[in-house]
Amino acid sequence: MTVYGTLILGCMSMLIGFLAQRSRMCFVAGVRDYILVRDRELLMGMFSFLITLWIMTSLLYAFNILRSGVPEYGAPAIRVSIEKIGTYSLSVGNLKTLFQKGPTGGIGLLITSRFLYVTLIGGLVIGLVSTLAGGCVLRQHVLLAQGSMDALFFILGFYGAVVIYYGFLYRFFVRLY
Amino acid sequence: MRRGYLKPWVFGIIAGSMIVLAEAFAGFYPPAAYSFCLTCHTRDLVNTFMNGIFGAHFQTTILARRILMLTSPSVLLGALIAAHGYGEYRRQKSTHPLRYFLYGLVIMTFGILIFGCPTRIVIRTGYGDFFGMVALAGMVFGIWLGTLLIRRRWSRSV
Repeated sequence: MTVYGTLILGCMSMLIGFLAQRSRMCFVAGVRDYILVRDRELLMGMFSFLITLWIMTSLLYAFNILRSGVPEYGAPAIRVSIEKIGTYSLSVGNLKTLFQKGPTGGIGLLITSRFLYVTLIGGLVIGLVSTLAGGCVLRQHVLLAQGSMDALFFILGFYGAVVIYYGFLYRFFVRLY
Repeated sequence: MRRGYLKPWVFGIIAGSMIVLAEAFAGFYPPAAYSFCLTCHTRDLVNTFMNGIFGAHFQTTILARRILMLTSPSVLLGALIAAHGYGEYRRQKSTHPLRYFLYGLVIMTFGILIFGCPTRIVIRTGYGDFFGMVALAGMVFGIWLGTLLIRRRWSRSV
């Protein structure tokens, strides 16, 4: 444990929380508002976030400053280094492997990888439930800080789910990978 | 317009550059694109405490062994400072406690499964991860389904 990294992460998160409260930023409400009332303001927040990340990662990879992943097409395939799922690797979804031929790559491997469907359905459920709850996870934190007790119960469930997941559900869900 | 209101696109630029710069210069990896995620960092924080206090063997990332993942409490603290500083703290009673508790449970469970909260899904898409894009497409489809349910709720209540 280094105090230094913890402090940097804490300060960055505090600043993000502060700015999120000031701007009412929410990644789910952007799309939701656009579908419901054609309000583009929060959607622009999401797009500027996305474009900033895309430009910054491409630049930093080009100058070889960012080395956290495998630099492919200016951006990495995410390598999940979580232990116990060591064999499973997200680099299957790398664009290079997508166009490779042979047993180790190609579209066939991608389509047969179960993680693709887990990701699709997981994203669907997260989007659906976040819309019903009224905001993404970041927004729920901000709402709790503004005094909404609904968000308090959301965050309680949020923390409780970790213990439930790793206590009981892990042995079933780990087979999905 | 309210005092001190910040445009969301300004938030996007500031937060996006901070997240990438933190990963590049503070060394917040492995895994990649991991400098900000509420689901994964909360998972790491809780599991670190469970391992330390109860001697459990719940999984954590390599990064969580180096630094303590105080993302979720820090976001709360920062938002609390902003809410109090600009006088926007208003206590609202809970209408459906159990329902929101279940929402939190479901989002965390599926967030652990796909390695990301909505924020990290967008971050991974920005990094160019294919599975991030798939998750984002799924999320947009899920939001569309959710708006259908919201519309039905509205038309019932009116």
